[in-house]
Amino acid sequence: MIQLQKISRHYPVGFGKNYILKDIDLTINEGEFVSIMGPSGSGKSTLLHIMGLLEEPSEGQYLFEGERVDKMNEKKRTQLHRGSIGFVFQAYHLIDELTVYENIETPLLYKNIPASERKSRVADVLDRFNMVAKKDLFPNQLSGGQQQLVGIARAIVAEPRVILADEPTGNLHSDQAKVIMQLFKHLNEQDKITIIQVTHSDVNATYGNRVIQIRDGQIQP
Amino acid sequence: MLVSYLRIAWRNLRKQKVFAAVNIIGMSTALCAALLLSLTAYREWTYDNFHENGAHIYEVLGKENTGINIKTGSSMAQPLAEAIQKEVPGVKHFSFMAADNLPVRYGANHYYLGTQMVNADFLKMFTFPLLKGNKNNALQELNQVVLTQKAATTLFGNSEAVGKTIELNLGGKWRPLIVSAVAVDIPDNSDINFEMLVRLENEPEYAVTKNEWNASNFPLFIQLDPGVTAASFEKNIIPLLHKYYNGKIEDLRKNAGATAKNSEVFWLEALPLRDFHLDENSHFYSGLNKFYPWLMIILSVLIVGIACINFINLSIARSFGRSGEIGLRKSLGAQDRQLLFQFWMEAFLLCCFALVLSLLLMISLLPYYNQVFGHSIALHVFRNINVVAGVVLGFFVITLLAGGYPAWKVARLNILEVLKGKLGLGKSSGVRNGLIILQFVAAVVLISCTAVIWQQLKFIQAAPLGYNTSQVISIPLDNAPPSVIAAMRNRLAEFQEVKSVTGSMLNLGLGKDGSSGNWTRGFSYKDRHITTQCLVVDYNYATTLDLKILAGRDFSKDYGTDSTGVVINEKMAKQLGVADPVGMEFKMGDDQPVHVIGVVKDYHYESLRKKIDPLVMVINEPSALYYVFVKVETPNPVAAMERIEKVWKNLNPLAENDASFLDENTQRLYQQEQRFSKIFVSGAVLAVIISAMGLFAIAVLVMAQRRKEIGIRKVLGASISGIVLLLSKDFLRLVLVAVVIAAPAAWYFMYRWLQNFEYHVAIHWWVFVIAGLLAVVIAFLTVSMQSVKAALANPVNSLKRD
Repeated sequence: MIQLQKISRHYPVGFGKNYILKDIDLTINEGEFVSIMGPSGSGKSTLLHIMGLLEEPSEGQYLFEGERVDKMNEKKRTQLHRGSIGFVFQAYHLIDELTVYENIETPLLYKNIPASERKSRVADVLDRFNMVAKKDLFPNQLSGGQQQLVGIARAIVAEPRVILADEPTGNLHSDQAKVIMQLFKHLNEQDKITIIQVTHSDVNATYGNRVIQIRDGQIQP
Repeated sequence: MLVSYLRIAWRNLRKQKVFAAVNIIGMSTALCAALLLSLTAYREWTYDNFHENGAHIYEVLGKENTGINIKTGSSMAQPLAEAIQKEVPGVKHFSFMAADNLPVRYGANHYYLGTQMVNADFLKMFTFPLLKGNKNNALQELNQVVLTQKAATTLFGNSEAVGKTIELNLGGKWRPLIVSAVAVDIPDNSDINFEMLVRLENEPEYAVTKNEWNASNFPLFIQLDPGVTAASFEKNIIPLLHKYYNGKIEDLRKNAGATAKNSEVFWLEALPLRDFHLDENSHFYSGLNKFYPWLMIILSVLIVGIACINFINLSIARSFGRSGEIGLRKSLGAQDRQLLFQFWMEAFLLCCFALVLSLLLMISLLPYYNQVFGHSIALHVFRNINVVAGVVLGFFVITLLAGGYPAWKVARLNILEVLKGKLGLGKSSGVRNGLIILQFVAAVVLISCTAVIWQQLKFIQAAPLGYNTSQVISIPLDNAPPSVIAAMRNRLAEFQEVKSVTGSMLNLGLGKDGSSGNWTRGFSYKDRHITTQCLVVDYNYATTLDLKILAGRDFSKDYGTDSTGVVINEKMAKQLGVADPVGMEFKMGDDQPVHVIGVVKDYHYESLRKKIDPLVMVINEPSALYYVFVKVETPNPVAAMERIEKVWKNLNPLAENDASFLDENTQRLYQQEQRFSKIFVSGAVLAVIISAMGLFAIAVLVMAQRRKEIGIRKVLGASISGIVLLLSKDFLRLVLVAVVIAAPAAWYFMYRWLQNFEYHVAIHWWVFVIAGLLAVVIAFLTVSMQSVKAALANPVNSLKRD
């Protein structure tokens, strides 16, 4: 599903280059649950951003579902963002001015889904996450764990093929983290959604079925 | 989607009350001011636009090259009109126009009606629709009269007007006239105003000068055939002028000498109808400078511009606080143009609020505005589709300017950086600083212009005019018959405080009747062409007005020969070129020769905008007196005036216009400038307030941004004053730059404006220093309100929060 070939990312320093990622070769198949681990500054977030098309690689090729996407124009890239890729952020990034319901609805608005279908899909997701009672609350009225649940609900409502999660439990305590990780596992096993997460926690990594260690911009064998 | 945008916009507005308030209040007051000003300009520009033949109607202006300058005259000789129609191709209609306020009687009732005396073609040229009667024959006969509906109702009530006979007093005689038509009341944007139209041939002067080529009495209007241009008319008329004005042209050519070797010295120009209202040579010129409507547009653009700048700065600043949302939307698949649309729509929403508020504000301010600034804008202008379209279009442009740039800027933000929260409101940004400078340039220009205008008005009000303004009362005679005037003179003699009485053809300054005029005559003297203003006066004119007599004497009843005597001013004496003019004789045209009996020191018989022209005062036409001047010497001049007025109203119950002291009249001359300065002051105050509001909001943001820095500095031992200075410094620097840019610009504008006045103040450098200081102080106060608050805050709070 995701094929990275000789991917590098660097920025110029003086006359030379400083590599954040160097010659990454990586293939992730559909239905995998991958954890990317590594120390701070090792380049794992950059790798995730490149996979999520938020950042362009300096060198190399990136094939998403067999299609080259590393030099894609904005329009096609937004199509992928709308349909195939869902994001979950460490800082949740909910829109403060929108309620839980409206936050979850937003990706569907960008997909131009008709109102009636939108309603039923948001209702389904709310139901599934046991958040029907909270649908009219604003993000600042929720606990961190609940906010991240909303963040995940928002990521899956558009039925993406892959979820990219950047330290999804980094701001949560361990009980909440457990709930979130179980949810990911469930989404992976039941809904067959490919999940790629960046994490520091060994415990979290055990929920996945593959761990990629990254150090100094290179994948450790 | 739209609903979601609206929802988020609305919630954002409610959350950030300071910004919403600054934006909405600033924008709505600015829009309100801009609406009022542009409607005023629009009204001035759309005067007389209802005439169907408007594109082909012209006023004929005479131009003479006197060798020193080009003189323009708006009165034409009567035989010229017919000659033009017969001999110049393409002239369809012509009409003279003479406006007067004439006494009318119907049955036992007397009225004064505003009258235009015109020629037969008048109604065919100008579009004044008739309710009853036919425009082709309504003025066919000399004894016909056309009334407006209002006048007809005044005279006849609800009964039929057409066919009734009324009597009109012309030159002291009552003459019967038959009502031939009733016209719709004159629209309020018409320069040609009347309640009654009569044929010009009824005017007593008419027969006297019927065949006089050298007497120019009335302004002449022509309608050209479609396809005939003003230029071709001006060219085709030259042979005709050479035929009838050969003598005058020869005189002028001698005067002009080398300056006019290969060009015409006397020619006619056609002034198109659209310029009637604002061209200073036009018969209808109201004194409103052509540039003023433009100035109002400029002023409204400035004010709206300042509000837009606030909008832009605040929106950009605020959007950094929403960077999370922007990044998130991008990661959810929002395209740049969708974000652009979303943020523009928020601006649009805010502007809509502001527009609605400004319309309400405008409607409630309109009566006050009209009263203070002497304009007459009515709300029915909004029935005009052009006005509505203009407002809507202008509004869209404003939302694009105010909302478009921030939206564009926000949409282009780098998604990763915003998601990571790396973007913040920097300590300063080029665009923002540039815009703040621009705002304060506008504010400082307006402040210093206001100061200079104010000085000039003071100067005008205090300038010695060369005659007694404080003790002389002027009474408009309103066409009272000579017998009444004689009676008035006798009654005045009984008053203790009345020192002397005289009369004149023209008022000094602008009286309560609002009429003004001049009489220019040209003649040859010793083979030179002499142009001079001419004034019919009564005995004791110089004495009553305290004019300084340099040589000779005033008109006096003690001498018998005064009917052929003239009193001239210094300028005229200089033009005649005679060392001791008293006693000399000259001939003004074909009239009797006159001799000079006195020379008076030049005095400002016209406004200070003009140089003093040569002047000849004559006394030979007692019927041509329209004003009486009374000099009083009393500790209570107001009471004296009331008593005199009472006597006058008793003698002439029809008198419409009140008496006034001459100093009131001279003030009235500068009404336009006074209104103009009021508008300017209001504009300047508004601009400064809106700028300060914007600066305040930006300061709030910057202080919030620098809370932590301030906390650290305080912990490290910075003093409060040091911090206030540190925080205010950046803003003050911007304002200082603005002052440096604004001063030369303001100097230039004011230099140009002062050129309108022959007599004006000098522009002092300290005006700009004071204006600049004022701006700096205002900016400092605004910013320090925030910086003091930030500096006083307990550093523990700001540091703990992070």
